[in-house]
Amino acid sequence: MTDRLVQLAADKRARKLITTLGLPVPLPQTLERGKGAWVAQPLRGRAVVVASGPRPALTEVLATSLPAAGAEPYLLETDVGPFRASGEAWGRLPHVGCAERPWAFVVDATGLRTPADLRCLYDLLHPHLRSLGRSGRVVVLGRPPSPDDVPRVAASRQALEGFVRSVGREVGRRGATANLLWVAEGADSRLPAVLRFVLSPASAYLSGQPLRIDGVVAAASAVPHSRVLDGKVALVTGAARGIGRSIARRLSEEGAQVVVLDRPEDAELASAVAREVGGVYLPCDVTSDDAAATVHDFLLERFGRVDVVVHNAGVTRDRTLAKMKPERWDQVIDVNLEAVITLTEALDPLLADEGRVVCLSSIAGIAGNVGQTNYAASKAGVIGYVRSLAPRLAARGVAVNAIAPGFIETRLTDAIPVATREVARRLCNLSQGGLPVDIAQVATFLASPGAHGLSGQVVRVCGGNFVGA
Amino acid sequence: MSRAVIVGGARTPFVRAFAEFTRIDTIGLGVAAVRGLLDRTRVPWSEIDAIVWGGVILPTGAPNVGREIALDLGLPASVEAMTVTRACASGLQAITLAAAAIERGEADVVIAGGSDSTSNAQLTMPQSLVHKAAPVAMSSKSGPKDYLRLLGQLSVRDDLLPKQPKIAERSTGQLMGEAAEDMAERNQVSRGEQDALALLSHQRAAAAVAAGRFDDEVVPVTNPDGETVFVDQLVRGDTSLERLAKLRAAFRKGGTLTAGNSSALTDGGAAVLLMSEEKAKELGLQPLAAFRSWSYVGVDPADQLLIGPALAMPKALERAGMELADIDVVDMHEAFAAQVLSVVQALESDAFAQERLGRDAAVGKVARDRLNVHGGSLALGHPFGATGARMVLTMAHELARTDAKTALLGICAAGGLGAAAVMEAVE
Repeated sequence: MTDRLVQLAADKRARKLITTLGLPVPLPQTLERGKGAWVAQPLRGRAVVVASGPRPALTEVLATSLPAAGAEPYLLETDVGPFRASGEAWGRLPHVGCAERPWAFVVDATGLRTPADLRCLYDLLHPHLRSLGRSGRVVVLGRPPSPDDVPRVAASRQALEGFVRSVGREVGRRGATANLLWVAEGADSRLPAVLRFVLSPASAYLSGQPLRIDGVVAAASAVPHSRVLDGKVALVTGAARGIGRSIARRLSEEGAQVVVLDRPEDAELASAVAREVGGVYLPCDVTSDDAAATVHDFLLERFGRVDVVVHNAGVTRDRTLAKMKPERWDQVIDVNLEAVITLTEALDPLLADEGRVVCLSSIAGIAGNVGQTNYAASKAGVIGYVRSLAPRLAARGVAVNAIAPGFIETRLTDAIPVATREVARRLCNLSQGGLPVDIAQVATFLASPGAHGLSGQVVRVCGGNFVGA
Repeated sequence: MSRAVIVGGARTPFVRAFAEFTRIDTIGLGVAAVRGLLDRTRVPWSEIDAIVWGGVILPTGAPNVGREIALDLGLPASVEAMTVTRACASGLQAITLAAAAIERGEADVVIAGGSDSTSNAQLTMPQSLVHKAAPVAMSSKSGPKDYLRLLGQLSVRDDLLPKQPKIAERSTGQLMGEAAEDMAERNQVSRGEQDALALLSHQRAAAAVAAGRFDDEVVPVTNPDGETVFVDQLVRGDTSLERLAKLRAAFRKGGTLTAGNSSALTDGGAAVLLMSEEKAKELGLQPLAAFRSWSYVGVDPADQLLIGPALAMPKALERAGMELADIDVVDMHEAFAAQVLSVVQALESDAFAQERLGRDAAVGKVARDRLNVHGGSLALGHPFGATGARMVLTMAHELARTDAKTALLGICAAGGLGAAAVMEAVE
């Protein structure tokens, strides 16, 4: 479970020794993760450099949202006016130029129209990227490419993806991340909440990802920055241990009433989690015939509704297809896919307006994996399900998204043979596995009102894993 | 509902800590202020229902300072009392609580105010000493051996050196001066602007003292050594920008805050007499002023610790159904010149109003000629619990003796608190 290399690299002397000797040992940076409940100003005391390309569309939005989040704005090629006004309101007047050691670069590349325009990425970041702080952030903002664009424009917009993925690889050694936010026209007001999350230490293991922000889901009536799930009712399946337990904890820290669902066999663990988060344990095997009815009736009777559903319960039954028994196939499809669909359908009448559905997919569902035909099929199925369900619930303000974790340090990955595990951990930008809390942070964001700009998406939380698209 | 009115009050001169009032504790300062109030107003003692007192450094042996004042003065035993703390807004808090009690019908006549003696802040022993020593001391079975063993366990540095009291935020550990230094930097308030405000404060306070403007408010106080103090001791009417400019930064190397543009540690007490309008009529006392509204707010202490008034003042105005333009005089507690100027900037900023108050435009301009017309805490000093009461007292007199009809008060306080009140003249 413990990653010895992360420990070793955290030791200054060892780090120096290894670097001096030039040993071929990766030295993953200990990530700054942020602790506890989210705060009103997650970026307090952090220098955020705003760099603008040609025709930037988001200057106003950045000017009002960054100082409110506590950031100290530094401006490169960016209009100072809007930042000056907002700086007055928050006591964060803008500085012109780059900070000495910025926490983050935010590049407004919304105005790109031609391949030549891409040069702004080089011009803005090339002189300064080296100064990016440890565990820092690079966030590039663009307009989403679409087949309706003029081909030249679409090409320029799409180029951002390759750029950001590569920047992520480059800054990963420092524990820093790079992500791309594609903000659709008309959805600018949905950006601040996402940006605040991506720039905060809470998004530590999210890297190399393009996220599309649009206005498809009916807008949230309020977007709180702290205690983001105050008074919400959240169901988390498979919450007795690992990622599920971590999600239950985070949701509860943000004020949600958490229903901890897990199999009756895990009653002891699950009720301990429920006690810890001040929630309720609901014993239930999601594959049993009456599962959906049981959960529905329980939620109806106890709360009369549900605001957040996190489908986390999942199993692996790995074998190569040639050797796999049919039961193993069925079990995985039943738990990981069929139960998700059945339960969501059953809970539909109880799902509140502005509700959130979060499904756990997997990087295997995107890239495939030896011995995981059943698992990868089920997790890819989840992606298809989320994409199809999202538009159907959008008018009610419900957002539906999937998370595809990469290598996360859990009971599941502990079972992997040492050598394979050691290699798997390093196969990402950050050269280390993620922790359950990294997934829980993203799940919490997707469960929050601030996620109203995201729906039907698959968010990979993989530290910028080298496999998969 | 019967409106509460202020009919009078008194305060001690304000004196630098560890000077003339060193041997008068906060209860003694309160006694001096309330005695002055009783002498000046001649209110029948039998009519007094209660004392509500405010204080920040409360004596551990007798934290209910208000009750001790009543007992020391020999007021009727029926005069009940409580003591409240809201950091530097404690004096105002005591007064608004009294007004609320009168308007709710709980009392007719209440003395309210506050005092603090920085000279008598108590040194405390480390709590680790208590935790180690108490079990031995409290056990009937402890013998000489146990005491010897205890001595062996105590470390001089960690357990036996008393802790120095300091004005630091418990949650952030930051000294208040450092927080104000941050605000000066955040809001780009220059040393020159700060010094200019301090100079104005001293000049106005000196003019007020010279003109006898405080004569109805300040009562002479004689200390145990027989020395009598008649007027505020910190006011320096003869200071100049040049002299202020020479002072060294007090809180941070290269900083802009100095002893000259920060309020000093001060000893003093202030009290006002509140009663229902009917009671004032019945007793033949002339009301000076009344409250139209008040408000208290909290901000994140780790952000801009002392910006609270910029949120509290608009809120009080809103509750009073007024705009800043309707206000004749503004009185702001001057903890630090940088803090006052930061708050004024915020009130004058459209962006602040839009983003933090949900208003379309700035709260309004705070013209210097109506701000702290008789000086403020920078010149007069700042005995924490007394300051709010001092401001209410001075503004009550201002509303009674000038054409001014309305006054707006603003106070910043530790813990990220802000306080404000709108006062009005009583016809």
